[in-house]
Amino acid sequence: MLEALAYGAVFALVSGTVLPLLYRSKNARQASFGLSLISSVLLLGFAGTVLYTGKEPSFPAFGFLPGLDFTLAADRLTAGFVLLIAAVLPGVSIYSLEYTEHAKSEARKALQAALTSLFVLAMLLVVLAGNMVGFLIFWEIMSLSSLLLVLHDYSSEENKKAGFFYFVMTNISTTFLFLGFISLYRLTGSAEFGPLEYPAGALTLPFLCLFIGFGVKAGLVPFHKWLPYAHPAAPSNISALMSGVMLKVAIYGFLRFLLAAASPELWWGVLILIAGSLSALFGVIYALKESDIKRLLAYSSIENIGIIFIGIGLYVIFRVEGLETLALMSLAGACFHAFNHALFKSLLFLCAGSVVHATGTRNIEAFGGLVKTMPATSALFLIGSVSIAALPPANGFAGELLLYQAFFQASALSANPLLTVFMVIALSSFALTGALAAALFVKLFGITCLALPRSEESRLAEEVEKPMLFGPAVPAVLCILTGIFSKQILSLAGWDIEFPDLLLLGLLLAFIYAALFLAVRAKTEIPDRISETWGCGFPALTPSTEYSSAGFSEPLVMIFKSIYRTRIVHRPEYFDGQESLFKNGHVEIRLLRFFEEYLYIPPALAIDSLSKRVAKLQNGKLDSYVLYAFLAVLTLIIATGVLV
Amino acid sequence: MIEPLFLEGVIKILFVFVLISAALIISTRSLASVLTTYTVQSFLLAAVSFLLYLMEGKSELLLLAGLTLASKVLLIPHFIKRIEEKIKISRDLNFTYLEPTTSLLLSIGLILLSYAFLSRVFEAFALSKLFFFGAVIGLSLTLMGMLVMFSRRKVITKALGYLSMENGVLMFGIFVTELPFILEILIIIDLIILVLLTSILAVGLDSSIEEYRKKIRRLQVWNGGEAL
Amino acid sequence: MNTSFLLFALLNPAFALLAAPLYMALIRKVKAYAQGRKGPKLFQVYYDLRKLMHKEAVYSPTSSWVMRLTPCLNLTALLACSLFVPLIFVPEPAGGFGNVIVFLYLLALERFFTALSGLDAGSAFGGMGSSRSMSLAAVIEPTMVVAFAALAFVLKSLNLHEMFALTAGSLLPASPTLVLVSISLFIILIVETGRLPVDNPATHLELTMINEAMILEQTGKNLALLELAHAIKQLLLMGVLINTILPIGLSAEADAGKIAVSALLFLLKAGVLAVVIGLFESALAKMRLFRLPAFYMMAFFFSALTILIEVFA
Repeated sequence: MLEALAYGAVFALVSGTVLPLLYRSKNARQASFGLSLISSVLLLGFAGTVLYTGKEPSFPAFGFLPGLDFTLAADRLTAGFVLLIAAVLPGVSIYSLEYTEHAKSEARKALQAALTSLFVLAMLLVVLAGNMVGFLIFWEIMSLSSLLLVLHDYSSEENKKAGFFYFVMTNISTTFLFLGFISLYRLTGSAEFGPLEYPAGALTLPFLCLFIGFGVKAGLVPFHKWLPYAHPAAPSNISALMSGVMLKVAIYGFLRFLLAAASPELWWGVLILIAGSLSALFGVIYALKESDIKRLLAYSSIENIGIIFIGIGLYVIFRVEGLETLALMSLAGACFHAFNHALFKSLLFLCAGSVVHATGTRNIEAFGGLVKTMPATSALFLIGSVSIAALPPANGFAGELLLYQAFFQASALSANPLLTVFMVIALSSFALTGALAAALFVKLFGITCLALPRSEESRLAEEVEKPMLFGPAVPAVLCILTGIFSKQILSLAGWDIEFPDLLLLGLLLAFIYAALFLAVRAKTEIPDRISETWGCGFPALTPSTEYSSAGFSEPLVMIFKSIYRTRIVHRPEYFDGQESLFKNGHVEIRLLRFFEEYLYIPPALAIDSLSKRVAKLQNGKLDSYVLYAFLAVLTLIIATGVLV
Repeated sequence: MIEPLFLEGVIKILFVFVLISAALIISTRSLASVLTTYTVQSFLLAAVSFLLYLMEGKSELLLLAGLTLASKVLLIPHFIKRIEEKIKISRDLNFTYLEPTTSLLLSIGLILLSYAFLSRVFEAFALSKLFFFGAVIGLSLTLMGMLVMFSRRKVITKALGYLSMENGVLMFGIFVTELPFILEILIIIDLIILVLLTSILAVGLDSSIEEYRKKIRRLQVWNGGEAL
Repeated sequence: MNTSFLLFALLNPAFALLAAPLYMALIRKVKAYAQGRKGPKLFQVYYDLRKLMHKEAVYSPTSSWVMRLTPCLNLTALLACSLFVPLIFVPEPAGGFGNVIVFLYLLALERFFTALSGLDAGSAFGGMGSSRSMSLAAVIEPTMVVAFAALAFVLKSLNLHEMFALTAGSLLPASPTLVLVSISLFIILIVETGRLPVDNPATHLELTMINEAMILEQTGKNLALLELAHAIKQLLLMGVLINTILPIGLSAEADAGKIAVSALLFLLKAGVLAVVIGLFESALAKMRLFRLPAFYMMAFFFSALTILIEVFA
């Protein structure tokens, strides 16, 4: 029965992939998204049952290659992440019903619908994969289908660059995963995900490889640069899936390894915690400076991935130190935050997609006043912002609360004072991240939706069509529900953790608000009046007097000015050799792209020059090729002579 | 008789204030405030050694407290105050290498470093927690004093940084080393500082090192290793 | 839910609501005396609030429902907060109320919506206030969290009620570290309530405003609600500080007589603290905006040292 649900979902997604390719009609595409919706219901049933009963379904193995079977499996960790997919999918599917129709040509519409289903299918199968072979195969399908979706609007130069960047980074990720899995295979002699009962030290190499591999895919600093490139290029519904689900699939992979490792080491935890803290901090700091709405959200994803890794790091540290309760609390925090982030980030990306669709620009400075022109989208956007800013009682708060609780009890590590102090430092950076995220989303929502429209496009924006409202409404409702019922959800999932009842808090807030509102209304004697905003004596307020996005973040930019370093570039050209007759030139002052310029470009250039040298060997002459063959044979003979 | 546990608590609080005073010396811009902070720091040190005397009953500690009070709380600040009045500059606004905010973060790092280092070194000794932490504070105070010496521009602030560093040595001495020995050393160091200060006083310094050198050259006090 | 907590849930918010404006006025009075003026009456803030409540609300045509939502929401958040800090007696904890992190994030909820409503009217002042307030709040947050973490470290609990049940009634603070924590808490109190040297509550000059700039467009009853919320926030933070450093007389039992004594003592202690705050404000000048991070860094250094001492010594 349980297995049938999973098969049903897979089948629905497969037909969702094939259908739009066979029939190029709107109906076929609608059917495809409808099938995704159905699959998400099936998956909900599947994951819910596994999580609640703890019953593990058994799938038969498929013979794939001799000796390499290809199995599906599901335990509670898997079920948790399947649930995450099932929670994000409905909103995105409903949204796509309309959103995909805005693509430029019939072919693109069909392709987008088909690839979306394929992408979801691949992510689902990565999570369900029972061994390394299946995992890697579906991982590659997931990467490729998302790459094609990023390249969806391939004609623009910027998108091509984004696609290329994404392609390189995703391959680096896969390479490290292969290395990690191969080293695991050498250790265990099996491709299954079994428990790894090895002494400390034996797992160092697999750990590092997998950490980098999954870190690249999840967008951990310093491997994060592909995110802010890929997201603006991808369609918004795909951004929602990539940010909401694909990054979590990487987290899933990493957790699968960590939970299997019987004796993790302290330095793993410390490393993960440091990487997580840095990602969270840098993510939000870069996001503050950003004025492209989708890129801003991409940076914010880096921040949230950082928070999830902080939770994982805490889990490892507490587990090594033998504090089971706190370890469990941190792990629950990490998983819960992953789930919550999937919800509110997909909500925010879908809303951003609506805003971009209505105004035709991604530049925040051109928005404003959308709360009047697009009231429903703005309300949904506010729910997303409140959740991601971790305000109670929405769900973003629930996850972070678990992590804070774990941090606050770090005094339990009293046996190791330096570790305790390290935790306090991590805690303060975590707190800074949280507060900066709140500032970020005040800026994003305030500048985008409030005050006067800053451009003609924004003034004339119209509310989007129904499916594009109902789509984000699903995660919005879920954001509030999972927040309010967080205690109940945690206990349903079988985690017995000390946690305040947000349901009670939510009810209390609602009650006080209603009472206050009624009391104030009853007391009101004179009706409200509408009058102009005071504009320092100017007769009419114009949008140009409003605070802009750059202005809003200026104090923080000043405070963190050592991080936002600028680079001045000038490349003049002259008519003559003496550099006296100026022809034309290029001058720019821009933010120093630290990671790109110091970490990515140098190895890329080195590889480039190396490949140029290799290319020289390819001179097209038959004689040289024979020479190479001769040299190869010679080397072989000598080598055999020496070795044998 | 006062309860030792209570005294220990008070000493712990004083520790924090000693470190805070060091942090203030790093970040305060007004010269008068830096001097006041130094005076307070020395007073805190005197208080710590007095409290330790109450705990341990060693008369050297009382002597040390008195000596610190006389020299570092009264005499040296008085001298420096006179210099400050003469040179007519009231603020030191320039920092080299480190801005105050960064220095403060670095200071926390220094304290951790001292802790990690000393916990290795003193593994064999059975120091009580309080004494061990006193040593840590002493070492970090010394390091923070050095930080002042290279991050502040004006010579007078550098001198105060040096004095604060010397306070660190004293603190370390109180908590770790045998007392009579350190007592002698300290007196000598104090005398050296006094001599140094009076010589500065004679030259009349009022600005950054570069200008100071010019002034010294002009007055033919010292050639600074370069031909004139 | 137990009876002790239910009683608390009725009495404590009511007490906070009634007593909070008094201390706004008292601080003003102390500042006025320090400047050689007579100052407003002790009940002036109550009169002001009543007057404002009777006035109509004026909205800008630019503003939206965000601005209309904020005043009630802020007071709601603060009234919910008042269930977290025991002012008159310490109840038996129930339902997760008292969780220190929830308390901090309810304050963040209030700040978030105040900042949004600052942007709503489209005035440059409001935007400036929101931007500054959110930026400075971000920089003080580590200090705040570390100070409360230190409190949790020393008193071995995550729940403010449990923490103060431990200190309740004793004459002196339970541990010397608490004296240090209270200094951090005092700085946080100053920063969070927008007082000198961080922000000047008495100014309406564009260069110096932070909190006032955000609520510049709020009028009438809405302004009254916001002012009241601000006063309660101040009283609650004062309450945390008082219960930490001077818990004498705080009752841990829900007994009518004891509650009365406890409440009276609290009024007295808060009065002393208000005088201290007034004098502190009078002694200082407003700091330049970009000098503030260094000041906050100092506060952070302090809280971090407190934890170092607690852990190492």
